Amino acid sequence: MEKLLQIIDLQKKFELHILNEKQIDALHQVTCDVNEGEILALTGKSGSGKSTLMKCIYRTYLASSGQILYRTAQGEIIDLATANEHVVLRVRKTEMTYCSQFLQVIPRVSAMDVVASGLVARGRSMEEARSATSECFERLSLPKELWDAYPSTFSGGEQQRVNIARAMISRPRILLVDEPTASLDLKTKDAVIEMLLDLKRAGTSIILITHDEHTLTKMSDRSLHLENGRLKEVVYA
Amino acid sequence: MDNNWLLRVQNLTKIYGQATPGVLERTGPLANTNIDPKTGAVVAVSNISFDLYPGEVLGIVGESGSGKSTLVQMLYFDQEATSGEVNFKPVEDGKINLFDLSNQKKRYTRNHLMGMVYQNPRDGLNFRFSSGGNIAEKLLMANVFHVGKIRIRGTDLLTKTEVPVKRMDESPARFSGGMQQRVQIAKAIANNPPLLLLDEVTSGLDVSVQAKVLDLIRGLQQDLGISMIVVSHDLGVIRMLTDRTMVLKHGHIVEQGLTDQILQDPQHGYTQLLVSSLL
Repeated sequence: MEKLLQIIDLQKKFELHILNEKQIDALHQVTCDVNEGEILALTGKSGSGKSTLMKCIYRTYLASSGQILYRTAQGEIIDLATANEHVVLRVRKTEMTYCSQFLQVIPRVSAMDVVASGLVARGRSMEEARSATSECFERLSLPKELWDAYPSTFSGGEQQRVNIARAMISRPRILLVDEPTASLDLKTKDAVIEMLLDLKRAGTSIILITHDEHTLTKMSDRSLHLENGRLKEVVYA
Repeated sequence: MDNNWLLRVQNLTKIYGQATPGVLERTGPLANTNIDPKTGAVVAVSNISFDLYPGEVLGIVGESGSGKSTLVQMLYFDQEATSGEVNFKPVEDGKINLFDLSNQKKRYTRNHLMGMVYQNPRDGLNFRFSSGGNIAEKLLMANVFHVGKIRIRGTDLLTKTEVPVKRMDESPARFSGGMQQRVQIAKAIANNPPLLLLDEVTSGLDVSVQAKVLDLIRGLQQDLGISMIVVSHDLGVIRMLTDRTMVLKHGHIVEQGLTDQILQDPQHGYTQLLVSSLL
């Protein structure tokens, strides 16, 4: 199987200049890879470096050293740790999506438009985008009366579903998803898992962070266990 | 480096006062001042270089006096640069320094190819004209003379920016701050410019109006694919609108990167201070 992502000796230190140059070592020499089409889970206690690793891959965090080699659909190899920002933006726009734990949206844009605009930005018509969004909301059983409301007024679980819908709808080549099933009831959880598995069947590779055993066993092909910023073990499902 | 940029800025500098040798070394974040201790000259913008890509939104943040506004004002020819080069693809395929253009060509570039929205609507609008008249002014400068066409375009733009069309013949002086700002945006985009410069457009507006203006700007960016430079000291505005961000201090770029990286993993002490001061 071809490697989609190869992470080599990744280190992340936070240097806090405003706190007397305090240093926090978040990741030490992490080396791992992601196969095309697999679901790779990152597990470990809070503070073990799971989200840091994910954010380094998405370049929300700048790696301190090491390489994050990503192979694009065209077969080009890009080091996401050091690539030009415009190259990273292009990868984000066309291939890689990140779904954070918390929804961040523009105020006063309806849930429907928040999700649909992602598809429109990728060149689909508004009508198509809206119908795809409706379908997605239905599967996530987001109450219909909320579709035209503003997500900033939603409950945690409702926001979470809007967030997931927005990330999944563009069918990225690689999806980074942080705690997708936290704050959801069991039925909705299963709907999310089912949708993520659908994406996988359609060819998306997924990196998943979860604390939830149920989600982990149902989804992951392989999981990497992190402890204090170090890779401890690899577990095969 | 690839060649896909729309706007390329190289070593742009603005000094108020005497530009003596070594002035740039004596000022900046390391010297912790933008005033030359030797001559008292103020270095507003010091050796700034960056590229802007088509369809990209670039944020510029920094505290008051860091040089943000001076930078965009130079790009819009409101202020003369002390030195530096700006190339812009729509003008001679980017092969000429905009500052070397004749005044006539500068005016053409400003009126046809750029739009500017100022913090204070009085800088961007003429309050003695009606709102429609303000838009017409921009269109006239770009050689659109047909009154009917101007009227139609004006109506279009005001509808797009959600200014009540029936108030088109009133002076913006009688509008609220948010409405004035929206008239200004309508005027700025009247000629479909490939580049829009936005200087603190939401400062001083209350949050609900601010949300409306931001939403409008995002919509324009999405529908028309205009490249934008957004100057703001409000990190929330920067987060919402921009792809990339430059952080300015004492006229220097202290840090630049993807906007989410700047906000979540700031590298420079000054940026860390800004981000940690966020409410």
